[in-house]
Amino acid sequence: MSRDEIPPGTLYLLILKTLALRGESHGYEIADSIQRTSDDVLQVEEGSLYPALQRMLIKGWVTSEWGTTAGNRRARYYKLTPLGRKQFTAEISQFERVIGAITRVIQTV
Amino acid sequence: MSWMSELARRIRMLLHRRQFDIDLEEEMRLHLKFRQEQQMESGMTADAARLAAQRKFGNATRIREMSHTTWGWEWFESLLQDMSYGVRSMLRSPALTVVALLSLGLGIGANTAIFSLLDAVMLRSLPVKDPSQLVLLGKGDWNGISDAFAVTELYSYPFYREMQKRNEVFLDVAAIFSMSNNIHGTVEGRDEAEPMHIQLVSGTYFSALGINAIMGRALTDDDDNSEGDHPVAVISYTWWNRSLARDPSVLSKKLKVGDTTFNIIGVAPPEFFGTKVGQAPDIWIPLSMMKNVPPNWGGYKENFSESLYIMGRLKPGVNMEQATSNVNLLYQQILRGFPDAPLSQRNLEELKKTHVPLTPMTTGLSSLRRAFSEPLKILMAVVALVLLIACANIANLLLARSTARAREFAVRQALGARRMRLIRQLLTESLLLAAVGGVLGIGFASVASRLLLRMVSGGLEMVPLDLSINTRLLLFTLAITVITAVLFGTAPAFRATKLQLTDALKDGRGPQGTGAKSPLAKALVISQVALSLVLLVGAALFLRSLVNLMNVDTGFNKENVLRLQTDASSVGYKVDDPRLTALYQQIEERASALPGVRAASYSSFTFHEGSWNGYISVPGMNINHDINVEHNVVGNGYFATMQIPLVAGRTFGPQDTATSQRVAVISERMARTLFPKGNPIGHHYHIGDPNSIYDITVIGIVKDVKFGNLQEDPETLDYIPYTQRDQYLEDFEVRYTGDFSAISKAVQQAIHNVDRNLPITHVTTLDEQVGRSITNQRLVAQLAIFFGLLAVFLSCIGIYGLMSYIVSRRTNEIGIRMALGAARADVRWLVMREIVKLVGMGIAIGVPVTLAGNRLVSAMLFGLRGTDPVSLLASVIVLLLVALVAGYLPARRASQVDPIVALRYE
Repeated sequence: MSRDEIPPGTLYLLILKTLALRGESHGYEIADSIQRTSDDVLQVEEGSLYPALQRMLIKGWVTSEWGTTAGNRRARYYKLTPLGRKQFTAEISQFERVIGAITRVIQTV
Repeated sequence: MSWMSELARRIRMLLHRRQFDIDLEEEMRLHLKFRQEQQMESGMTADAARLAAQRKFGNATRIREMSHTTWGWEWFESLLQDMSYGVRSMLRSPALTVVALLSLGLGIGANTAIFSLLDAVMLRSLPVKDPSQLVLLGKGDWNGISDAFAVTELYSYPFYREMQKRNEVFLDVAAIFSMSNNIHGTVEGRDEAEPMHIQLVSGTYFSALGINAIMGRALTDDDDNSEGDHPVAVISYTWWNRSLARDPSVLSKKLKVGDTTFNIIGVAPPEFFGTKVGQAPDIWIPLSMMKNVPPNWGGYKENFSESLYIMGRLKPGVNMEQATSNVNLLYQQILRGFPDAPLSQRNLEELKKTHVPLTPMTTGLSSLRRAFSEPLKILMAVVALVLLIACANIANLLLARSTARAREFAVRQALGARRMRLIRQLLTESLLLAAVGGVLGIGFASVASRLLLRMVSGGLEMVPLDLSINTRLLLFTLAITVITAVLFGTAPAFRATKLQLTDALKDGRGPQGTGAKSPLAKALVISQVALSLVLLVGAALFLRSLVNLMNVDTGFNKENVLRLQTDASSVGYKVDDPRLTALYQQIEERASALPGVRAASYSSFTFHEGSWNGYISVPGMNINHDINVEHNVVGNGYFATMQIPLVAGRTFGPQDTATSQRVAVISERMARTLFPKGNPIGHHYHIGDPNSIYDITVIGIVKDVKFGNLQEDPETLDYIPYTQRDQYLEDFEVRYTGDFSAISKAVQQAIHNVDRNLPITHVTTLDEQVGRSITNQRLVAQLAIFFGLLAVFLSCIGIYGLMSYIVSRRTNEIGIRMALGAARADVRWLVMREIVKLVGMGIAIGVPVTLAGNRLVSAMLFGLRGTDPVSLLASVIVLLLVALVAGYLPARRASQVDPIVALRYE
C-alpha cells in the first residue's frame, strides 16, 4: 500500500475539517482520524500536528482544554472557534480553487 | 483587532511558558502511548510497538522546538539566557565590572546632568499653547527703563497699545514689563511681610499665551484698560503651594502690596512659569497697576518711557517676513505719530536706519541663556569626551577579558555555535553593562543636576529651573547608553570571536602572541591619552583664566565689606518723601557708630548690578551719543567704604544738600574722555541734553573701578549724592574689621532699630558679590578640572590594565629573557618603554587636536589665549608623570617574574 505525503499547507485544512466533523478531539484522535478517513493514504508525520495546532491556537482558530478520555486519561482537547469555522470555509474554497485549477491543467490534452 | 488578541495570546504563553512545555510534553507522551497501544493490538511486542510509534511520530525534539518557536519568543528567551549568562560572567570578574560600571555611571550621569541643564536653559519649549507661533519684537537683550528715541529692545505702553490696534499680522499682542518687581508684600491677615516676585504684564498676556487659570480666572484686557483701578492678581501654582499651603479659598484672599490691596483672582497652572526661563514670578499683576507696585514705576501713559517687551502670536499663515515688514512699517508710523516725538534731524535719521528684528519665542526669554549657553555647550563637549574615554577603557578591559575567554569561545564555536550568535551574546553583555551603567548614571545625574543648579545659582536663591527627569532626558540617556555599548562592545566582540580554533584550543598561552601585539588595544590607549590631554589642557586654561579673573584689580577693595539690601519701597516710603533720605542717613550713622565698622554707605549699585546710564552734555565739547556714562547714586561715605582713592578735589560732604548746587564725583576715565583738556574740577555738565535739569558741577575725580564686570575696560562713571536725587537705594555697604557674622548681626540690628519693618535681604560680602559675577567661568573651570582629572584617571586605569595584560601575556618571554641573563632593570625598561611609546604617541596626536580645539574656547578665556604654552606644557608633564606611575606597577611585576615559574607554564 503506498503512503503519500500530504501536500504542503493542507495540514491546517485537514485539522480544521477533522475538528469540524468530530467536535472536540485530542491530538491522537485528530491524527488517527485523518489517517483512517483517508484510508491510510494520507500519512501525516504525526508529530507535525502539534506545531500546527500551536499555530492555530495563536491564530485563535481553535481553543484547547484539558479533559479526560474514555479510558480515564488526561488529554488536551481542541475545539473550533467561530473564527476557526470561518477559516475552515475560506480554506476549503481556496483549496478547491487551487485543486480545480491544477486538475484543469493536467487534464488538458 | 485580531492582531491584538493574537499578541495577548502570545504574551499569555510567554508568561506561562514553563506550563506550556509541560503540557506539550504530556500531550506528546499520551499520543505515543495511544499509538503504541494501537500497534500492540495488531500484535507487536511492547518494544517494537514503541519504536513504531516513535517512527510514526517523527523527531520529538524537533517538534518540541518547532511548537515552541511557533509562538515567536525564542529571541526573547535567548536574550534572557544571554543576560543571565552576562550577569554571571560580570560577577566572575568583579573588579572589571565595578570599574566599568563606575566609569560608565559617572560618564553617562555627567552627560545626563549637563544635558538636563542644557535642555532646561536652551532647548525646552515654553509650556504654553503653540509656542512656535510666538515672536518677540527685538531680541530681548535689554531690561530696564529707557527714554531714548528709536530703541528696538524695549517699548512704551502707548506703543504697545498702538501696535496691538494697528497690526495685521498678530492674533494677539501682549506686553511684559522687562524687570521683575522683587519686593515685600503681605498676605492679608498676616503680620509678616514676605518676599514676592511680581511680574507686571498686559491684560492680554495670558490669552496670548493660551494659558487658562486652574482656579478663578486669568487676567483679561479689561483689567488693563485704565490706570490704577484694577487691583487684581493672578498667582503662580508654586506660590499658592508655598505661601498659601494650597488654601482652597485662595480666591477670597487679598494681598497688601505697597499701599494697595490686591484681590487674588486666579491661580496659574502648575507647569506655567511665565515667559522668562530661570525666573518664575509668584504673582502677575496688570500693567495698569504699575504705579501701585513698589518701587512704583511710572510710564503707563508716557509715549517714550520704554520698559516693556512686546510679543505677538502670529496669525495662521503669516510668516516671519510678513510679520517683520508689517511691524517695521508700524514702528516708523507709531513713533513719528506720537505728538511728543522728539523729531530732531538726528533722531529722524536715526529712526530711518532703525530696523526691528523679530525673534522666535518658542523657548522663551532668558538672560540665563546668554550667560550659560556657551559654557553649557563646552561642558557638553567635555562630558562627551569623558564618556568616550570611559568607552575606550571598557573596550580595552573587555578586549583583555575576551582574550582570556578565548578558550571558551573556541570550544563553543567548535561545538557549532555560529559566530553571529556569539557576537550577539557579547553585545548583549555589553548592553547589560551599559544599561546598569545608565541606571547608575540617572541616579548620579539626579544628584549632580541639583549640584549644578546650585553652582549656576551662584550662592543666591536657587534659579527656578525644572531639572526633573523627563521623557526627553530618558530618551537621551537611553540613546547614549546604547551608543556607548555599541562603541565599547563591538570591537571586542568581533575580535573575540575571530579565532584560530586550533591555536586557542591548545592550552592557554600558546605562542600565538596576537594578544601581546594587540594593535587595537594600543590604539584605544593612545586615543585615551590624546583625549585626556585635550581635556587636561582645557581644564588648565579655564583654571588659569579663572585665576586671572580673580586677580583682576577691581579698583575698590573688595575685602572686609559687608553688603546687604533693604527694601524701603515695600514699607511705605515714597520716593520723593524726605523721610527716605533721612532713613538712609540714620542707618548710615547708626551703622558707622558700631564698634568694628570703619565706614558705611548706601548706593544704587556696587558691582555687577546693571546701571543707570546715558549720554551727557559738556559745555565746550561735542555731544557724543555713543558714550554712555554710568551713574551711581551714593551716600557720603561711599568712597571711604569701597576704598576708591580720590585723585583730585573732594568727595561729598554735609554741604551737598537737596538745595545746594548739584555736584558729582567722576572717574578718571570720564575726566579724560569727556572733558576738555585741563582740570575738570569746577566744570559743569548735564545728564542728557544741555537743557536737562541735571546741571552738575564736578567736585572730585576718583580712580577708575570695575563696575559691570571684571572683564570690562574702565567705564566712564560718575557718582551723584543721594541727597540730590530722589531714588530708592537698595544696596548698603559696611566696611568692617573683625568677625563677619557678629558685624552682620549688629548692622541688621542697627537697621531695625531705625525701622523695624524694613526688609533686609541678600546679606553677603562684597567679595562674594564680585565672585558671583564670574559664576559661569567658575562653573566651567571647576567642572573642567573635575572632568579633566577624571579623564586622566580613567586613562591611567586603561594604561595599567593594558600593561598588566601585556605583562601577563609575555610572562614566558620575560622568563626566557631573564633566564638568558636579562637584569631586572632591563625587564622593567622593556615594559616602561612600551608605556612611554604609547603615551608619547598619544601626546603627539593630542597636541595638534588640543590646539585646534582650544581655539574654540578662546572667547571664553580671560588674560590668556587658547594656545597658552604654560597650560599645554603643564598638562603634558602631568599626563606623562601620571601615566608612568600607572605603568610602573606592571613593569615592576614583570621584573619580579621568576624565570623558573614562568617557563614551567610552557
